[in-house]
Amino acid sequence: MRFIHTADWQLGKPFGRFEPDVRAALTDARFDAIDAIGKAAAENGAGHVLVAGDVFDTEGPEDRTIVQAVSRMARHGCRWWLLPGNHDYARNGGLWDRVIGKAAPNITVLRDPMPVEIDSGIWILPAPLTHRHNLDDPTSAFDAMETPGAKLRIGLAHGSIRDFGSRGEANNQIAPDRAKVSGLDYLALGDWHGTLEVDSRTWYAGTPETDRFQRDAPGQILLVDVETGRLPTVTPLRTGRFQWLKRDWRVNDFAAFEAERQTLWNEIEPSATLLQLAIAGVTSLSERIRVLEILEADVGHQLRYLEARTDDLVAQPSEEDMQVLAVEGVLGSAAQKLNALRESGSADAAIARRALERLFVEFARGDAV
Amino acid sequence: MSLRIRRLAISNFRKFRDPFAIEGLSDGLNIIIEPNETGKSTVLEALRAAFFVRHSTKNQLASSYAPYGENVAPEIEVGFDIAGEQWSVAKKLLKSPSIEVRGPAGRDQGEAAEERLQQLLGFERDSSRSRDLNTYGALGLLWVGQAEALEVSAPGRMVRDSVHATLEAEVGAIMGGGSYDRVRARVDQQYAELWTATGRPTGKQALAKERLETAEAASKIASERLTALEASFSELESDRSRLRVLEKELADDTDTQARKNLVASTETARSAAQLLHTRRAEYQAVAGKARGLEELLQRHDAAEAALTVTSQKAEKSRIARSEIAAETALARDRANAAKAAHGEARTNYNAARILLTGGEKQAEAARIAAASEAARQRHGKLISLEEALSSAKAIKAAGISVADLAKLDELDRAILKSRIQLEAGATRIELVGSSEGIAIQGKPLGVGEQILDGETRIELEAGAALIIRPPAASASASARLAKSQTTLADMLTKLGHSDVSAARNAHEASRQADGEIKTLLTQVDALTQPDTLLDLRAGPEALKLLVAAMTDVPASGTIEPLDIAALKLAVEEMEITSARAEGAHDAAIEALRKLEEQDRPLAAAEVEAASDQRNATALVADIEAHADFATLSDALAEARGSAADHAVKLAEAEQNASAHDIAAIERKIAVIDARAAAANGTKRKLETDIARLEGTIESEGGKGLAERAAAALEEAEAASLAYGRIREEAETIKLLRDTLELARLETSRTYVGPVAKRAKRHVERLLPGCELSYSEDLGLQSIIRGNIDEGCGNLSRGTQEQLGILTRLAVADMLLEQGRPVSLILDDPLVYSDDARLDLMTEILLDASKRMQVILLTCRDRAFRHVEGTRLSLSPTSKSA
Repeated sequence: MRFIHTADWQLGKPFGRFEPDVRAALTDARFDAIDAIGKAAAENGAGHVLVAGDVFDTEGPEDRTIVQAVSRMARHGCRWWLLPGNHDYARNGGLWDRVIGKAAPNITVLRDPMPVEIDSGIWILPAPLTHRHNLDDPTSAFDAMETPGAKLRIGLAHGSIRDFGSRGEANNQIAPDRAKVSGLDYLALGDWHGTLEVDSRTWYAGTPETDRFQRDAPGQILLVDVETGRLPTVTPLRTGRFQWLKRDWRVNDFAAFEAERQTLWNEIEPSATLLQLAIAGVTSLSERIRVLEILEADVGHQLRYLEARTDDLVAQPSEEDMQVLAVEGVLGSAAQKLNALRESGSADAAIARRALERLFVEFARGDAV
Repeated sequence: MSLRIRRLAISNFRKFRDPFAIEGLSDGLNIIIEPNETGKSTVLEALRAAFFVRHSTKNQLASSYAPYGENVAPEIEVGFDIAGEQWSVAKKLLKSPSIEVRGPAGRDQGEAAEERLQQLLGFERDSSRSRDLNTYGALGLLWVGQAEALEVSAPGRMVRDSVHATLEAEVGAIMGGGSYDRVRARVDQQYAELWTATGRPTGKQALAKERLETAEAASKIASERLTALEASFSELESDRSRLRVLEKELADDTDTQARKNLVASTETARSAAQLLHTRRAEYQAVAGKARGLEELLQRHDAAEAALTVTSQKAEKSRIARSEIAAETALARDRANAAKAAHGEARTNYNAARILLTGGEKQAEAARIAAASEAARQRHGKLISLEEALSSAKAIKAAGISVADLAKLDELDRAILKSRIQLEAGATRIELVGSSEGIAIQGKPLGVGEQILDGETRIELEAGAALIIRPPAASASASARLAKSQTTLADMLTKLGHSDVSAARNAHEASRQADGEIKTLLTQVDALTQPDTLLDLRAGPEALKLLVAAMTDVPASGTIEPLDIAALKLAVEEMEITSARAEGAHDAAIEALRKLEEQDRPLAAAEVEAASDQRNATALVADIEAHADFATLSDALAEARGSAADHAVKLAEAEQNASAHDIAAIERKIAVIDARAAAANGTKRKLETDIARLEGTIESEGGKGLAERAAAALEEAEAASLAYGRIREEAETIKLLRDTLELARLETSRTYVGPVAKRAKRHVERLLPGCELSYSEDLGLQSIIRGNIDEGCGNLSRGTQEQLGILTRLAVADMLLEQGRPVSLILDDPLVYSDDARLDLMTEILLDASKRMQVILLTCRDRAFRHVEGTRLSLSPTSKSA
């Protein structure tokens, strides 16, 4: 038995902090992930795709989001098994009624905690969520689920493994030994956006398209091979288009910055990369200005998205910096005033630092012209 | 370094068509005093043209130099010294323009000459149509045209720049110059994109703020709509579960069953109540019957007891009466005996009295006879009176006394009373039919009614007799009646009346006649004095009687007297005996009466007792005659038993009835019904609400509100971040701009200082204790007098002009110190100055003329007449070769 295990599609996530073009790309990428999954299923001979919750980012997505999701799924040959998660929990008259209203024959919504025989002797035991916050272990019902003639029992659930650590979501906690306790051959989990092997029979698929700066790996799905009496073979397959990278650079001069940049550039495909960059260090003012210029005029434009935090790149105006301006009379006087304010540590110091930078930038630009 | 104009020669220049020259200008103060319209201003204009107006220009200004209406070439030639070196410039304008500058180093012409002059005097090429004094450099400021000094204008940039540039050494700083201007221009531009001139957010900043506000508002609305939808979901969920619970409750037939049971109980209760009613009635009937029988028994017992009591009483009465009856009979006998004795004594008494009366009459007759004679005589007189009196007397005489009348009445009443008593106690008998052979008390009995008051014997035929004994009371009444009648008859006899009524009438008549009689009697009285012998009493009657009787009266001495005393004694004895008999009789009657009185209540009691006894007997008989009486005791026992049985049944029925309180049961049914009604009502309401909520969810749920809300929230966050960045940018730019401005101001002040310092030297003389305030462009802004800051525009024109000149002087001094070629030309200055100020100003100018050349062009001869200096004239006479 070979199937695809995926989760946390988070369709319809708004990405409101991004500019419209980036936002559109990120939104589209999530829908494209469905096609990627469908293709992967076809290429790997997997007839079923088990989606372990959070297909949608909210319980009330736009109609367009639903239609996109359904139509993308409909055009692939595999069967889609959708489990309501905490973001898209099942309730009467809610999201899933709308989905079913538009659904295609190859899509099944597992709204009820009832085992389903998806193939001869192959049973899915679903643990759909009916609230945003379920206090109980949603998989506890697995114990009581009858699966007559089961060759394989595959659990499908959404939530964090109990004592999973503070980074997981605190609700919908699932017993860590659920697969063993409930006699599951495989427990397909969702909620954790990175791929994670809890034990040999319990896996988080992670999201197929990364949606936040949390881990560098691009989105994946899991190709699961499982037979009765054997441990499953789980193969991650990349589906993610975008890589969300977090980088902390420590640079004390422009050269160090350039070195870091070069290293990064060797690793990534810039147009498919979103970078959250934090630069720290102490440089001269003119070097800091160069760094900022490069970030703004080059790095930012090459990347899909750049979020640069440069506040910790402290610029100390060098003697040379100040002397260049000092000969400029009024400009030199202004620079001295701003520098004094910057060093005063008062509330305006940060603004003074930026104003001083700006003065240098404008002066330099004037020089260039 | 000083600039000294030595000579000016012009031709074809405005009003100076003919060649004309001013020569002999000294180093110090030169005063050219000429009336108006003689060309003073033209002199200054010619000097400006010589240096600053390009020879090749044909601009408006240059064109104006040609004399009016003439097409000639204006020519100017100026000789001047700079730093002790002699220079000259010769310029021809408009037609065949040319320029030639000669100096220590040689001669320049054309453009080179122009450049030489610019370099020499520090000015720029003026490319304006008319004139730009700023391009003239320091001399543009220091060569002051007519009225130009009235405005305290700031020096042009060139002047400032030259001043600044030359002040470097003094103030140790330099302006940013071109770099500053570029940076400032960009910063200002960026500032303008973010802030208004008055420092309010605008442009990008305002847009960012607007975006934030819009986004926040949109997010709020989206969130509210989502919240409303979520509320609908929760409400729907809650309504559904309530409905489920309700339906479960409705499906539960506990209430229905309970109600059914209660309804059944109602029936039971109703029949129990009915039964109770019946039982109560039955019990009441049986108990009533028992009560009736008991009552009958009680009544019988009471009647028997009463009969016993009355019988005893009757017996007791009879015994008491029989005792008294014996005594009464004895007393009656005694009374009868006393009656007889009394009658005998009375008879004896009356006989004695008759005897006495006869004796007394006899004695009297003798005495009367003696006295009769006298009486007859008086009688004769009386007769006449008697006749008068007769009528009254007749009435009077018939009367009786009150006491007698009272006694008569008393007797009459006693007779009446006795008669009534006799009537009450007497026995009446009546004979009807033939009375033959029937005698009563030995006499024949007549037909009719007889009243018997004593024992009466009626003889019947054949020797039989009927003895009738009326009650004893009748006998005593008869006795009293007889006694009273006798007394009355005696009294009537004594009074001479037939009956009581006649006596009464007589009394009444005599009383009425009395008054009349009294009058007559007074007269009669005298005639009717008593005569004891004749037994003549006072009064006419006595006399009349006496006389009337005289015929029968024997003559005196013929009558034998009888023993009167003995007769009297006999009468008295008889009277006493009679009285005693009467007393005895009275006592007997009294005794009899007392006994009879004792008997009366006894008789009454006896009658009453007899009556009571009869009644009691009748009652007992009545009761015993009652239909139930015969079987009373059995019936009563049975009734009591039946009542007890029914009481038990009644108690049972009451218990049954109370066990099924119909009101309580109905209340319970009502509660169940109300609960069912409420449940149905709630169910209907819930179903309505659910339908409504489902409708809401169906319409709102499909709109993707959650996604929209999330998007709106993120947009708001992004807008907030963007606004924060813009704010930061704006603050940065603002700080930068402000800092640049501050730096510029400070730097400017560095240059203003020396100028102000120099100006103050002069101004102190003009306006003592006054501070000057210069703007950064060296323009005089205001003066401060006694802590009051006066803007320049508010000063008088005279003062403004004076200050303008002094400021120029200060600039000139400074430029002079820096070796710049300066000179001061004032065209028609100080026209608004008062004499004192004018003196002061001329003094200052005179002082300045020691440092630089000063040329005054004025029309006011008198004002400057006393001023020491080189005086020059524009008159052609001064023209020299």
